[in-house]
Amino acid sequence: MKSRRFKWIAGAAAVAVVTLALPASAQTTYNIASIADFTGPYADIMKDLVGARRATVDWWNEEVGKGMGIKIGMKDFDGRYDAAQTASLWPGIKAELNPVAVLGVGGPDVAALQGRLPADKVPMLMSTAGYGFAWKGDPWIFNPRPTYGHEAAGFFEWFRSTRGIKGPLKVGIISSEASPAYVDIAKGAEKFAKDNPDKAEIVETIFTEVQPTDLTTQVGRLIRKGVQVIDIQTNTAAVVATKRALQALGKADIPIMMSSHNGLIASGKAVGGMKDLEGDYEVYGMAVPTEQKTKAHDFHQMVVAKYKSQATWSVASVMGYNQTLVALRAIEAAARKVGADKVTGEAVRTALLTTPISADQTFSILPNLTYTNEAPFPVKGLTVNVATIKDGKYVIAAENVPVPTIAKW
Amino acid sequence: MFDTIDFLNYLVNGSLVGLLYALIAMGFIVIYRASKVFNFAQGELVVFGGFIVWWMVIQTGLPLFVALPLAMAVSAIFGLIIERIFFSRLVGESSFAMVMVTIGLLILIRGLILLIFGPQVRPFPIIFALKPVIIGDILIPRSLLIGAVITVIVGLGLSWFFNNTRAGLKMTAVAEDHQVALSMGISVKRSIAFAWALGAVLSTLGAIIYLSGKSLNFLASDIGLSALPVALLAGFESIAGVLLAGLIVGAVQGLVTAYVDPVVGGAVGSVFPFVIMLVILFIRPTGMFGWRTIERV
Repeated sequence: MKSRRFKWIAGAAAVAVVTLALPASAQTTYNIASIADFTGPYADIMKDLVGARRATVDWWNEEVGKGMGIKIGMKDFDGRYDAAQTASLWPGIKAELNPVAVLGVGGPDVAALQGRLPADKVPMLMSTAGYGFAWKGDPWIFNPRPTYGHEAAGFFEWFRSTRGIKGPLKVGIISSEASPAYVDIAKGAEKFAKDNPDKAEIVETIFTEVQPTDLTTQVGRLIRKGVQVIDIQTNTAAVVATKRALQALGKADIPIMMSSHNGLIASGKAVGGMKDLEGDYEVYGMAVPTEQKTKAHDFHQMVVAKYKSQATWSVASVMGYNQTLVALRAIEAAARKVGADKVTGEAVRTALLTTPISADQTFSILPNLTYTNEAPFPVKGLTVNVATIKDGKYVIAAENVPVPTIAKW
Repeated sequence: MFDTIDFLNYLVNGSLVGLLYALIAMGFIVIYRASKVFNFAQGELVVFGGFIVWWMVIQTGLPLFVALPLAMAVSAIFGLIIERIFFSRLVGESSFAMVMVTIGLLILIRGLILLIFGPQVRPFPIIFALKPVIIGDILIPRSLLIGAVITVIVGLGLSWFFNNTRAGLKMTAVAEDHQVALSMGISVKRSIAFAWALGAVLSTLGAIIYLSGKSLNFLASDIGLSALPVALLAGFESIAGVLLAGLIVGAVQGLVTAYVDPVVGGAVGSVFPFVIMLVILFIRPTGMFGWRTIERV
């Protein structure tokens, strides 16, 4: 009797162990390194950006990865938007996580790792626009958007035709030498103007501090040169200082063009209200986070409701979603090609270069992406979206604006 | 083609920015005079003062005439707390030890600011009207102009205080030598505490002028670095000298930014004050008005 009961218990325990062990043994865990900036110049947008990355991974693990037998682990590292910091972190990241992909924040991460990643065979996915200094073939770093120069040029063309400007659009650039990426941003727009003198003229590029003391004199100089739009793709502090200078000079109607990381909402908060940015613009090649119902907005609301995401619907969260979705779709594609238990960083990179990612796969957060071996960003079919402040409201001004060709600089 | 009006605009605006640097540099000097400590955390004190003003005006809605003096008082208390916790225990210790503490203080204050106020960029209240003062063809930002007047008054006032009042002379004695000052019955701790309170108040005043109508986050501390060449040019002991040094550094920086930057396509103007600083350290380490120390062995 005793022996029979023992057999039953042992049998039940064995079944329980096998049942519990089966899914675990069928699931392979891969790691993604999430480089962030918690204590540097973009610390203010990290809550949304990192929150969106985490929510996307949670969603993918539950609704895609489970079915494929893959689980993604992610760990954050504070790169401080500092190339030296990111470079010093990298050996530890590699040893600790052995990641199949890295999510980067910006130019310093590119500058720090572009020489290391090909040897370590780990691709890095960015959320930002691309950089001229990283515009090389055989990429290991991938941007979902063209360079800032491309995005600005798309805006220049759209603005010029919208306003019916006959001659070249007179552009003033306010940038900074605090980061190689900032300098590169200015160079891209300058290159477009140089090659298209009938379309754009850079009246002056002003390099200033990250937190400018006062820009009244410099902006006054731009005004005297007949500037029609001021291009600031660096940070919100520069936007605020420029706006104050324009207001002081009675020329607040000269529009400022911003990018994603220093866009209208962030700059509006920094300047003290959206009304100060009436008629200004932001431009980038990804979804604009207005309150309008879109597929991208629906995805955000879904992860907030279902996966308790803390990210708000903002440009920063759109950036977090875009790079994580590209990384996860590439891991999916790699797993289909090499097997769910054989995914490596190299396989992820190969998948990126050989498998297009459709707009549907990114919930229209990004347009269709087809990477090639000639650049770190898709070189064909590039478009940008333009947002503005109209009657105090944040609205889309134009969608799918074509990006003109710019030669390498 | 050379334009005289442009030249004057750059010269005047550069000089005014230089006087703002001079105000921040006074914070360095006041603390150095009392404790022989070069305070690496001066920029962080500017940010702290800025956040106190932001919190009182924007968050609590206090009127400026209440908020600004209150912010100065809070800053003074903050300076006293720093002195009490960190520096009162270091009297008689080497300058090196104290300087290392200021580096730790920099990291600590930055961390506290991030913890309490967060990393977000905040709108700083408009303390001075945005409309510039226009004299002929010369356009002068109002905040910098008023700031320059305040800086000159504060600079001359402090110079008088240190050279003509009993308390100021005691602090000067402390600056000469802690042990000698103690033997003369002067409270070194009290002098150092007063210097830290004054240094923090000057930083808050600097923040008000620097940030009026602009944006604020922890990166505003960079102004501390910009003020460093001014303090070095003046010499770390001369309050009145810092005004002249500020004018020189600011004017040179303004002109270099206007005439050299567009030619070379870069921010030479931002680097130039540091070139001046290195040259000074090479030729005259004590600065233009610094005390020459004679050491007898």
